[in-house]
Parts: sequence; C-alpha cells; structure tokens
Amino acid sequence: MEGKSATASGEAGAVVAGMKVVVAVDASEESLNALTWALDSVIAPRSGAGVSVVVVHAQPGPDHFVYPVAAHGIAITYSPTSAIESMRKAQEEISRKVSATGAIVEGDAKEAICQAVEEMHADLLILGSRGLGKIKRAFLGSVSDYLVHHACCPVLVVKPTKAHDK
Amino acid sequence: MGGEGKPVMLVGIDDSDHSYYALEWTLQHFFAPGQPQQYHLVLLTAKAPASAVIGIAGLGTAELLPTLELDLKRSSTRVIEKAKEMCSKVIDASYEVLEGDARNILCEAVDKHHADVLVVGSHGYGAWKRVVLGSVSDYCSHHAHCTVMIVKRPKHKTHN
Repeated sequence: MEGKSATASGEAGAVVAGMKVVVAVDASEESLNALTWALDSVIAPRSGAGVSVVVVHAQPGPDHFVYPVAAHGIAITYSPTSAIESMRKAQEEISRKVSATGAIVEGDAKEAICQAVEEMHADLLILGSRGLGKIKRAFLGSVSDYLVHHACCPVLVVKPTKAHDK
Repeated sequence: MGGEGKPVMLVGIDDSDHSYYALEWTLQHFFAPGQPQQYHLVLLTAKAPASAVIGIAGLGTAELLPTLELDLKRSSTRVIEKAKEMCSKVIDASYEVLEGDARNILCEAVDKHHADVLVVGSHGYGAWKRVVLGSVSDYCSHHAHCTVMIVKRPKHKTHN
C-alpha cells in the first residue's frame, strides 16, 4: 500500500499511512450521498496522506461491456443503464483529484462487496443507508446489515441527511 | 455540527477488548497526532443500572444490588480512565458516563451533541447484553440519527 507516513514519533496511535477506503454504491441516491460524504469527511482531509478510494458497484446482471472513462483514464467494465449512471455520478464526485479506481463486482451484492473488500485489503468500507422502515429493511436493507456483520474491516453506514429524509 | 464549530464524533465504549480496539482504531485513523483534528471527540460509556442487570429475580437479590451497583460504577470509571489514557494526545475531547441502556444512551447522545458520526465496536457494548451478538451496534446503525461506524477486529475468511 503506497502512502507517505506522517512524522509521528512512535507514540501509541501513530498515523496509519495510505488508508484504503472502499465505497460501495448502487444506483440509489443514498449511496451517492454516502460517496459525497465519504469524499468530504474522510478523503478530502487526508488528501496529503496517501488515502486511496475504490468505488465498488455491485451489479447483478451478466451482460457488460467495456467503457473507457476519460476523466481518469480508468477503464471499467460497465453494465447498462443503472450502473453507468451511478458510476458517472460517482466519477463526477471523485473528480476532485483523489486517487480513485472503480470496480464493478457481479453477483449477489452483499457477498460480492464483502469479497471485494477482503481482496482489496480495505481499511474502511463506506455504505449508504436507505433509512427504510423496519419492514422494507428486512428485504432491502439487508446488504448493509450483512456487510456490517461480515465485512473484514470497519464499516461506516452513512445516514441520509435531514434534507433527504422524506 | 458541534457547538464549537467542529463536527462531533461520538465513540461509545465499554470495558471490553472490542471496545478498546475500536477506540484505538478510531484514534489511529481519525485523530492521528500531527494531523489537524477534524472532529471534536466525545467518549461515552453507559452504566447499566444494577436493577436492570439483575432483573426480577426473586427474594434475596435486593441484597446484591449495592454490591453490583458499586461494581458497575467501578467498571465505568475504569473505562473512562483508560479512555482518557488512550486519548491523551487528543486535544479536543470530552468524556461522559451516563446511566441506562447503552442503545438508548448512544442514540440520545447523538441527538444531544448533534454528532456527525457515532462509533461503536462490535460484540462489545455491554458485557451484560450479549444475548444477541452485536445488538447494540445493530440498534445504533438503524436508529441513530447520524452516520454510524462499526469497528471490529479484522477477520480474514479463507475463501477457497
């Protein structure tokens, strides 16, 4: 993992260089809010200290094609429509000069993200939360619940801000 | 946003390894010495009331209450003392012990402090509440009115 170490003089709580942050997005507004929050609160303050960001989109469908993304020269495997939209929005957010890569993982969202986090040796996983009521959460919120329990790194669940809470 | 202009990060802790690990991780990643402090740090531990711990257990338990109460108080004092030690390099930090159920205390504290982030360990908050593993972190991740970060020890599953 690259990154500059800060000049901590060996006390307990020395700076961890090169924090690797994975942000899991889907097509939803909430996950893009989570990405914005992550960029503002976690990544921007560390832009001098070697933080790296991986934006992961979990896509269930099998068909995909390659679409080069001009802004950062990242070639990502895209699936149609929803993934493209969310990745495009994600790219807009990321165009703030942070070292970022994108990845699409296939299959069951929760397991795929979990595995990606492990393979990438992420330090932190950031997700949005849909703020659903109890019943909907039983079906749709299960991804964040699953990841909180099974991801191999700390998980940060971004709540919708009051402006988005409808 | 916190009253002093800095956003507030609230860390819920108890007297468990998981909790101290979560605090240490948070300090390393968010309160590193030498970096400008981004958040005002609030450390909070919940002290369960002795009566809640014993429950309704029949005759004779009333005598246990004072001992248990003392024990719980010692435990929460110990937690805060240890936290203060761990956070000695953090300039802008405050510490609280509140009595009651951990889940409610943490969520209410988020509102009271207008916290931006609540941090909890997993499997850790409340040695007495391990009926469902991670129930406090679950509760908080669904009910707290702010971003919740759940920090647990890395575990590396071996996929084959």
